[in-house]
Amino acid sequence: MREAIRLIKRLIGGALMVLIVATFTFFLVRLMPGNPVQAAYNTLITRGMTPVQAANEVRVMYGFMPHESLWAQYVHYLNQLIHFNLGQSISYEGVSVLHIVLSAAPWTITLVLSGVVASFLLGVTAGVVAAMKRSSGMGSVLTVSGSLLHGIPQFVMALLLAFVFTTLWPIFPFGAPYGGALTPGFNLPFIGSLAFHAVLPVVAYALSSYGGWLLTMKSSVVSVMGDDFVLAAELRGLKPSIRFGYIARNAILPLFTIFALSLGFMFGGSVFIENIFDYNGLGNLLLTSINNRDYPLMTGAFLLITIAVILSNIVADFLYTAVDPRIRRP
Amino acid sequence: MTARTPKNNAAPQIPPIHGESFLRMSWRVIKAKPTRVIGLVIIVVFALMGIFGPLLYPHNLPINPNAIYAPPSLRYPLGTDFEGTSNLALVITGARYVLFAALMAALFTVVFGTGIGLLSGYLIGTTDTVLMRITDFILTIPGFPLLVVLSTVWNFGQPVAMGFVLGITGWGGLARAVRSQTLSLRERGFIEAARGLGLPGWHIVFFEILPNMGPYIAMNLLVSITGAIYAEVGLFYLGVVPFHVNNWGVMLNLAVFTGGAMESAKALPYLLSPLVAILLLTLGVVLFLDALDEIFNPRLREAA
Repeated sequence: MREAIRLIKRLIGGALMVLIVATFTFFLVRLMPGNPVQAAYNTLITRGMTPVQAANEVRVMYGFMPHESLWAQYVHYLNQLIHFNLGQSISYEGVSVLHIVLSAAPWTITLVLSGVVASFLLGVTAGVVAAMKRSSGMGSVLTVSGSLLHGIPQFVMALLLAFVFTTLWPIFPFGAPYGGALTPGFNLPFIGSLAFHAVLPVVAYALSSYGGWLLTMKSSVVSVMGDDFVLAAELRGLKPSIRFGYIARNAILPLFTIFALSLGFMFGGSVFIENIFDYNGLGNLLLTSINNRDYPLMTGAFLLITIAVILSNIVADFLYTAVDPRIRRP
Repeated sequence: MTARTPKNNAAPQIPPIHGESFLRMSWRVIKAKPTRVIGLVIIVVFALMGIFGPLLYPHNLPINPNAIYAPPSLRYPLGTDFEGTSNLALVITGARYVLFAALMAALFTVVFGTGIGLLSGYLIGTTDTVLMRITDFILTIPGFPLLVVLSTVWNFGQPVAMGFVLGITGWGGLARAVRSQTLSLRERGFIEAARGLGLPGWHIVFFEILPNMGPYIAMNLLVSITGAIYAEVGLFYLGVVPFHVNNWGVMLNLAVFTGGAMESAKALPYLLSPLVAILLLTLGVVLFLDALDEIFNPRLREAA
């Protein structure tokens, strides 16, 4: 019951955030130099439309009338938003923004999630090894690799990977999410090609955040190893493997707090990685919509990225309470 | 104090010397490990590049139609770009915008983050709740897409303007950390004493609490600088920000999208020069942070 109330509270908080972001983008588009809404209206007029037709067309694109007061436009816009109507794209004429955005979302979400899982597994394992062997050469090599990789920005990582593995040693394909000759569908060659093409982007995601996991896991394991219960377990003569289980269970808890931050970082990085590896996900959509001055589409892509981050934050939060029973009882 | 017996292994041992000046002590800490010296040298070289770099070259860099995408040579140590301009010159002159904007961004981040964290932690109650909600919001919003969206209205031509936006989107983490430290500091005896003396609130916040966090904030400044460099170079690389002046991001953009550096090895030096500059600077900061840690944390210094 308490959990349900907490979930509802978090969802309301998330909805409020989405509202603020929507408000922000609304005013951003309205206050843009050259007022794109008015500009769209004027273009339609010069194409020979009557003012009424043009106003209607603009209303379909942006979700509000061009001549209303700012407040009335805002209310209109929000009303459309509640009905999941994000307006119509300008560059893909006549296609609803929602449709474009929703078909782009799976690309981003799959890539980001595989990247998160890969970097989590890699970073946590390396972190444990670095903590256990921290006085040996291997431990310090791992730690230094962690801080260096932590420091390298995602686009540099992606560019280097793309360059080394597609141009220097052409092992992996480059420039498309799947082989061009294949028909998309649920068949083995297509999925295989999809996975093969996804290796580099996922590795780019994973390597760019692996350092953070490694460093946190290492310091967490080191601090747990100093706890009394570990000493007690040692004195009781428990096998190292069982002791290790005790340590790992306790050490992994703080990692869930950075999980949330990491997700935001990953979704943010999708702009680069999708751009470099030519994936038609949300990040790439955001970029092309800006280059095409397609503001309804830009707003939609940005909103959906934000929603994805907020939702995954809530999921991470509930995962955390599921893993750590101490949090549940205040 | 007990006498210390120096060990002969690589671990640095820096016994505190009483009455030693801060600079002298810092230099001793840095000297203790060669990696720290390397880090400092890298940072100083880049700083000099940012300050004096553009003065070394004419305003319009010379072009050479006979040496388009030339490989590295004595005349062009890092090769040339699509016009035959030396990549070394481009990297050096491009450093100013990148580094200055990053410095501004770090300053704005620190000012916003520290200010909000202090207020939130010291005033507690409703102010705290409201400020922390805002902080959570800033932390949740995906920062880079936000910058991309903002680039449609904001003019990033001036480094200060770029720094301001990077600062205003990036202060969340620092504010959280400063708040939690303030919360613990405000219950300490000396703050109690200051309040008992009837000192005004602003005095307590800025002269009693803030100095205790100086080291943490200083380290954060350095980390924010690198973060800001990545963000701005990224924006220019993507090409969403109009180019006004040459900088590393512009070089990356031109190398990848017009130079075709991904398909042919011809434009490789043009692509790699800014990348290597970024990686070198990262390396310098990572190496130097280790020294900062010890300079600001006396306990680390004494624990030999």
